[in-house]
Amino acid sequence: MSDEKTRDGNMSENKGFEPKIVAYVCNWCTYLGADLAGTTRLEYPTNVRIIRLPCTGRIDFNLIVKGFEIGADAVLVSGCHPGDCHYTAGNYHARRRWILFRELLDTLGFDLRRIHFTWISAAEGKKWQQVITEITEQTRQLGPYTGLYANGSGNGSGKELPSSSHAPFEFKTLPAEGALRESCRKLLTDGTVKVVIGYGQRGPAIVTRAEDVGRLVWNNRCVSNLTTYLKRKEIKALGKPAVIVKPCDEKSLVVLEKESQLERKNIYVIGMACEGVGEPKCTFCTARTPRFADESLGEAAGPAPLTDPPPNRFAALMAMAPAERMAFWAKQFDRCVKCYACRQVCPMCYCERCIVDKNRPIAIDPAPSAKGNFAWQIARAFHLAARCVGCGECSRACPAGIDLALLNIALHKAAQVNFGYDAGVDPAAEPVVGSYALQDKEEFIR
Amino acid sequence: MSEIISQSGLRQLVADCIAAGTVVSGPTQVKPSLVLYAALSSPNELLLEGFVRPDNSIKDCVFPKQEELYGYRITGKSIELTNNVAAAPKQVVLAARPCDAAALPILDHIFNWDFKDEFYNRRRAATTVVTLACASHGENCFCTSVGLHPAAERGSDAMLFDLGDGSYEVRCITDKGRELFDVKTEKSSKVGRADAGPEKKFNPETVRAFVDGHFEDPFWGQHALTCVGCGVCAFTCPTCHCFDIVDAGPAAGNARYRTWDSCQFPMFTAHASGHNPRGGQPSRQRQRILHKFSIYPNRFGEILCTGCGNCTRNCPEGIGVLTVATEIDHG
Amino acid sequence: MDNGNANVYKPDLMEVVSVRQQTPDVKSVALRFIDAERARSFSFSVGQFGIFSAFGYGESTFNICSSSNWKDRIEFCFRKVGRVTEALWKIEEHDIVGFRGPYGNGYPMDVWKGHDLVFLGGGIAMPPIRCAVWYALENRADYGEITIVYGARTVADLVYVDELDEWAKHERVRVVRCVDPGGETPDWKGEIGFVPHVFERAQVQSKDPVVLVIGPPIMIKNTLPILDKMGVAPASVYTSIENRMKCGIGKCGRCNVGPIYPCKDGPVLTMEQLQSLPADY
Repeated sequence: MSDEKTRDGNMSENKGFEPKIVAYVCNWCTYLGADLAGTTRLEYPTNVRIIRLPCTGRIDFNLIVKGFEIGADAVLVSGCHPGDCHYTAGNYHARRRWILFRELLDTLGFDLRRIHFTWISAAEGKKWQQVITEITEQTRQLGPYTGLYANGSGNGSGKELPSSSHAPFEFKTLPAEGALRESCRKLLTDGTVKVVIGYGQRGPAIVTRAEDVGRLVWNNRCVSNLTTYLKRKEIKALGKPAVIVKPCDEKSLVVLEKESQLERKNIYVIGMACEGVGEPKCTFCTARTPRFADESLGEAAGPAPLTDPPPNRFAALMAMAPAERMAFWAKQFDRCVKCYACRQVCPMCYCERCIVDKNRPIAIDPAPSAKGNFAWQIARAFHLAARCVGCGECSRACPAGIDLALLNIALHKAAQVNFGYDAGVDPAAEPVVGSYALQDKEEFIR
Repeated sequence: MSEIISQSGLRQLVADCIAAGTVVSGPTQVKPSLVLYAALSSPNELLLEGFVRPDNSIKDCVFPKQEELYGYRITGKSIELTNNVAAAPKQVVLAARPCDAAALPILDHIFNWDFKDEFYNRRRAATTVVTLACASHGENCFCTSVGLHPAAERGSDAMLFDLGDGSYEVRCITDKGRELFDVKTEKSSKVGRADAGPEKKFNPETVRAFVDGHFEDPFWGQHALTCVGCGVCAFTCPTCHCFDIVDAGPAAGNARYRTWDSCQFPMFTAHASGHNPRGGQPSRQRQRILHKFSIYPNRFGEILCTGCGNCTRNCPEGIGVLTVATEIDHG
Repeated sequence: MDNGNANVYKPDLMEVVSVRQQTPDVKSVALRFIDAERARSFSFSVGQFGIFSAFGYGESTFNICSSSNWKDRIEFCFRKVGRVTEALWKIEEHDIVGFRGPYGNGYPMDVWKGHDLVFLGGGIAMPPIRCAVWYALENRADYGEITIVYGARTVADLVYVDELDEWAKHERVRVVRCVDPGGETPDWKGEIGFVPHVFERAQVQSKDPVVLVIGPPIMIKNTLPILDKMGVAPASVYTSIENRMKCGIGKCGRCNVGPIYPCKDGPVLTMEQLQSLPADY
């Protein structure tokens, strides 16, 4: 039986196409269920390749993508029913992760019809037979998965998203600048802080001497999220910092504290009321005043009226068909050079050694190829799932103009819709990843 | 007597080259505020005006972001290597800037230092570079500080001058340039002029003396405080050429390839033992300046910088060679 | 050096002739060229290095620690410490690995002719000394008294122990081995102490020797004053430096120590050169 991949998956050319199914199953339930199917002589298609892991909680989302990369036409992930996990809660964690990861895959344009999740117990040999038979037939109908990372060059797609018209931007220094400098002068003179992390003329200004506070500015182009500097070892070595935050940046502090990356009493927060800094993210922003600062400066006059609101790029993206979305991303990622600016500017990317820098094993293909770029972007977005506060630094820093923030927005929405969670807003809210609820939604799991 | 070509003639040239199977690259509008060099799939994509210079460089014509060095096939205990120095595709870069073109003869030195890198050399031989002399300059430009100017001919096979009326004067500099524009131009009396260029912003000799004489200096620490350690400066730079060699095994197709690398990355010099000679950003920032203004000129007689300003322009935190060099000279 | 139209990054295929475990985490390997013509035409100078690879895992830089007089094989010695060396740890006889080289400069054995030779090494620094020792013994008439002071943290960390015994049997060769205080076993018969101190205690009487000292920076730092007291000029003291490498041929921009590229200007440097280098290693 030939299983050659045909160019366009047309059914009539698929006579003899045998789909390859990769199944990641947990050792204690589904694997034994498959075994039971075998010992009770229940026949099921041989198209499935089973990969056994101790628990679905161990399944890195990467493995789902890798299944497709090595030639699978469909991927199945299966484990114990909720409540029956051999390790008590592994499948609950997995379920929560799958809820989010599916959204990310959908945003990227993966064919969700080829990704399946099931609960199959050790006693359900019959269910295993049914599931494999159905998935195999379904995938045979769908044809080979030729769309993986396809940039649609043949079909003339590679649709662009609508961009905002170039609104005239008038640079202005804001009134609170003087008060800010005065505050910082006092903080440094008193020794309350040893260093101020603030905005400067052409980038951040790290000020350690009171007489240098003139370098600090506060204007309507103070874009960057300065909380990213709190993790840098050279900054930490200087002593207790004061960090200047806009209300959007302040949310990063909430998340960092929740993740034990900083102790609130060890930093001094100067919150600036903000009217927007000319970025698309500001249009949809509702947080204009700082909430947790040690000191708040400035008065927000409230959001400026939207005469010409920019188009909602995320909505436009999700309005495309999945294959169009994948072509869109393939075209974007083609420009990625793996400079990792997106990672370095992000306050939440604080791992001492990033997964892409690990080499035993090499989990993420380090090449700036289509596969390598998708692998990195998937890892980055998913490692930030429900942790990203939407500061947009990643998109701003990208020298290739890739719409990275859209991936983070997708996961942010998923966390909001499914778990009512908005990273960085409520310090008391339980983080999404790393916890679970018994009633986490299940409709996509068979 | 000069040779000129109209804009439509230029676009026709693009179409002809594409039809002949040549890879044509030029500035393209990627987003409203972003112009990048990219391979053109149609002549209309070529962007000729309305910007100072693209935010990337043309170096990936001769030094792609990823290049397969060779593959290997493992069958049981035996191994077979496949040699991958294939013929390079014919390439034309149109409307490059002089600061991009000048980088190529500078890079020739390192890629031919005793060992001849055929991957680079073949691509170099197969590439024709047509520059567009600059009609303006931006605040981050500093070509004149490193011995270049908006109509510098180094590395160009032909140079275009915008005549302001929808046509361009064409000056062919090498045989490759002459071959490309053969019978495509017409005679004219119009002569183009380039922008005067930015005023000199720093003296590279001062920078070299400082980095040589002040290896351990708090200056490096101060500048490194805002550096986040990404690769934007190195990757958008026309002359940065540091690379990594990777073997990611069967998952990556059983091949060894090289990729761009940046001296600003934390793992760049990390030893397997855990020791890292440049474990902090200050030493890494210093290394970039040392390499460009001291090591390379001492060894090959040329500064490893063409003053395009991309590092400073694209740095998410506003650092870059211009910022650092200016402060060394005047700070 | 210039291979014409060849792919300068492509390695030679080598067959493993033998593997020997030297310490709990160090192995030495002998290789032969699979291509007979390459085997015939290959030559190198002791002190040069090669880039050895395990296909599927990557490349790693090691000194070629065999004598350049041995035409049937080349050898390298490595400690299991990372991705590539873990893969190399698993190789057996008849396996195939890759080799690129020889790269770098070697020891100026011609310049060293007529001199007494003093070799000082610590731990895994013995292999790059070993090749020079064998070369000198094979050209015995060219060199004067040979003194080798070699130490490791513990007895189990000493490499090429049997060869140390063999060298000691040669004429006008003195071998002193030592372990750090606390690293000795009850039946240890050698010295106890750090290499610099043991070397000082050894009271080597030599007029105008050439000294090759390889080891961690602290060891070199402590050895220099002793050499100075002996009246040995920095220009007569040599070392071999190492740094993270990828291409090995001066292109990838990674291994430089200040203005010097160990892969091209080194790895063999005189102490005079080393002392002029900034703290970049």
